[in-house]
Amino acid sequence: MRRMSVFPQHGTALETLGLTANEIRQEVENKTSELVSDLVNLSAGGRFQAIRSLPMSFNERKTIRNRVNSVKLSKTILSADCRQQVSRSFRRFRASLASARQHLVVWQDTLKEIGGRFGTSVLSYFLFLKWLLKFNLFSFLINFCFITIPQIVHAPNISSVTGFRGLELLTGVGYFNQTVLFYGGYNGEVIVSTPAYNMQLAYFFTIAAYLVLCGVSLIYSMSRSFQNNFVLETGPVSGGAWRLLCSWDFGVVNEKAIQYNKNNLGIQLKESLSERLQEKNKTSLSDRIKRLSLHLLAWLLSLGLALGSGAGIYFLGTDKLTFNFDNDPNDLKAEASTLLLPVVVSLINLIVPLLYSLISKMESYSNPRAQIYISIIRNVVLKMSLLGILCFYWLNFVPNKISCWESFVGQSVYRLLIIDFIFCLIGIFFGEFLRNVIGTMCIQSLGVPEFDIARNVLDLIYAQTLAWIGIYFSPLLPVMQVLKLFIIFYLKKISLSMNCQPPKHTGRAAQIQTVFIALLFFPSFVGTLSMVAFTVWRLRPSDQCGPFQGLDTPFYAIFNWIDSIQDPPESKWVWWIFENVLRSELFYYLITLIILVITFFLWQITQGRKQLIKTLREQIVNEGKDKVFLLNKLQTIQKQRREMASYIPQDFDQTTHFNTNWMSTLPFEM
Amino acid sequence: MGNKQTIFTSQQLDAYQDCTYFTRKEILRLFHRYRDLAPQLVPLDYTAGPDVRLPYELIGSMPELKDNPFRQRIAEVFSEDGEGNMTLDDFLDMFSVLSEMAPRDLKAYYAFKIYDFNNDDFICRSDLEKTLNRLTRNELTEDEVRMVCEKVIDEADLDNDGRLSLEDFQHMIVRAPDFLSTFHIRI
Repeated sequence: MRRMSVFPQHGTALETLGLTANEIRQEVENKTSELVSDLVNLSAGGRFQAIRSLPMSFNERKTIRNRVNSVKLSKTILSADCRQQVSRSFRRFRASLASARQHLVVWQDTLKEIGGRFGTSVLSYFLFLKWLLKFNLFSFLINFCFITIPQIVHAPNISSVTGFRGLELLTGVGYFNQTVLFYGGYNGEVIVSTPAYNMQLAYFFTIAAYLVLCGVSLIYSMSRSFQNNFVLETGPVSGGAWRLLCSWDFGVVNEKAIQYNKNNLGIQLKESLSERLQEKNKTSLSDRIKRLSLHLLAWLLSLGLALGSGAGIYFLGTDKLTFNFDNDPNDLKAEASTLLLPVVVSLINLIVPLLYSLISKMESYSNPRAQIYISIIRNVVLKMSLLGILCFYWLNFVPNKISCWESFVGQSVYRLLIIDFIFCLIGIFFGEFLRNVIGTMCIQSLGVPEFDIARNVLDLIYAQTLAWIGIYFSPLLPVMQVLKLFIIFYLKKISLSMNCQPPKHTGRAAQIQTVFIALLFFPSFVGTLSMVAFTVWRLRPSDQCGPFQGLDTPFYAIFNWIDSIQDPPESKWVWWIFENVLRSELFYYLITLIILVITFFLWQITQGRKQLIKTLREQIVNEGKDKVFLLNKLQTIQKQRREMASYIPQDFDQTTHFNTNWMSTLPFEM
Repeated sequence: MGNKQTIFTSQQLDAYQDCTYFTRKEILRLFHRYRDLAPQLVPLDYTAGPDVRLPYELIGSMPELKDNPFRQRIAEVFSEDGEGNMTLDDFLDMFSVLSEMAPRDLKAYYAFKIYDFNNDDFICRSDLEKTLNRLTRNELTEDEVRMVCEKVIDEADLDNDGRLSLEDFQHMIVRAPDFLSTFHIRI
């Protein structure tokens, strides 16, 4: 970090040492050549990255860059011209790759506009949406290429019993029943071509590969985000320093938004001042007991609500199943009645969070952050208990009662997704548009509604969980999710600019974002993964339809495949790996052991680092104290000398000498 | 690309690419943004490196900066003459530091300079008061302003010298993860 600390401050630091102009120039020259030689030793990518991050003006940076380039060129064996040509064309190639990638960035301008009007915290919602959109687009592409296209080309078995009537768009049954939209539309034959294309394996491996890639990408982004936003944080930072100097959003360009932000910042600063005053007077014991019992009551209420709605869904589901499974395909009424369950689920999803926010108003948390986190936890518990109950019902009751049960589950998920989308639209209209009209026209005290980032992101997470659950049962479900996210993006943007105001407490947006990615990973993705794994390993696939008909479990497709490739001796190693590594308990035992040991070591290292950080911080404080002490001492000495100098005038010369020297000796002494 | 290439020589473009966080296309786009501020002053041919400086009034009128409470400080910090009059190089420099790609340390260094109104390499009480005046609508009383400044220095000043040095500031920035995304002007 010498580049950062020495260079920009050379002017003032050296001038105080009292050097002549020539000496300063010499010093600067030395530093520059040191810097250049440092840079030359870096790798090509790192070198330009380092040059770009030099805190100096463009011209100085360019000079350094030219010097570095010329030194680098003189060191190579190739002729300078040739080498220059090669490196330049290589760099141009890289630059053109970078600009080609920028073409692929969708919504660049829209996102800029949102960031400019509503600030970074609202922008993070839209970035999250875009990120989910990418997941689904990718999943659609691989499912379409590896499962759907071979199926369509090989055996277009669209034998629909009924014509298209429109209700299918909501329910997913009828016309769609036997199409490639659902599990039942596929069959597990081996397509005869060179090489042969086994549909069973394609189905299995495509879904597995997608889930694995999702998991890897989630873990990667979670750890990146965690590293950036959490690990470095130590000590109290929620106070005024951070608010005043680090929280201003430079990206906001809209004049109204800037005024709004200024207002907010003023309020928040006042709040933090009053908090500081409040901290001093402690609350009494009876107050604390009262507050504690209030929290307890609120938790009981919200958990009770979640459990109650879960139980309601369960009874509704099992009750409906009895008359559902042998309906006449032309009976529109029976078809429409399948929509009851998703509507109820979406209603619960709409109303119960409102009740939760009422409950949390009743609790009156003093800390807004705690309030946000607690409301997130409650909402997640609600949504996951709903989905958990639904999965339990799908996996426990449906397979025994319905002939093509995978398609049935796929259709149920499809209906849930579609109805959820419709409720989202209704929410935008009633929750945001009408609320705005009421707030501005009728009851002025309500005001314009705030854009609730947490609730909106949780809705996205819920929808994404559904889409993941459905992917095994309905490989083309991501199309629906892509369309849905696309429409929601624009509607939310319009609704935001017409109806809502940005949230008041915007602090810590980055940390909340990490929490959201973590939530997407932990209950959502892990839950889906275990559900799909259970289906594949344990459940008997339906006999009448689907790629895995006739097998005990879908996973038997792999056993059959492994057995079949045993014959040619050159692929025997695949079989060996499968038998001795993947199927042996010892292997997993060893892997777990190794991972545990590594985790323990890493944990030890973090503990060590934490200790080190603590010591270093203490050292900084101590050095500050030393500096103050030394400065005081110097001042008293100087005063003494001056007093002495007033007695003996010729000593005056000596004090000035001393004055120039102490600065240069000080750093080395300390 | 044909007619665009004549604005800069390819060596110039390489240099810009190596020294800023922009791609070739973005550099050309930024050049046009710069030129649009004063088409009569900025020539379309930069191959000879003409000495053109746009006055602060023009730079500050860009929609990206127009309403920013720190627009004058930003222009002053990034301009070579320190008064906010910018050459094309300064202009590119400014948006390069404020771009998404710039690392935390670089951003922190320039943010520090922006907040350091009196250019004494420390953020002292008067700098904080000025910052506060710009970021709020003068609704805080004098007492509150004093308390906020005290609190800031109390929290962030590690070496207890009563003012914030660059190191203090960087230390604070490291613990404020939002800073990277908020010290960012999308262009």
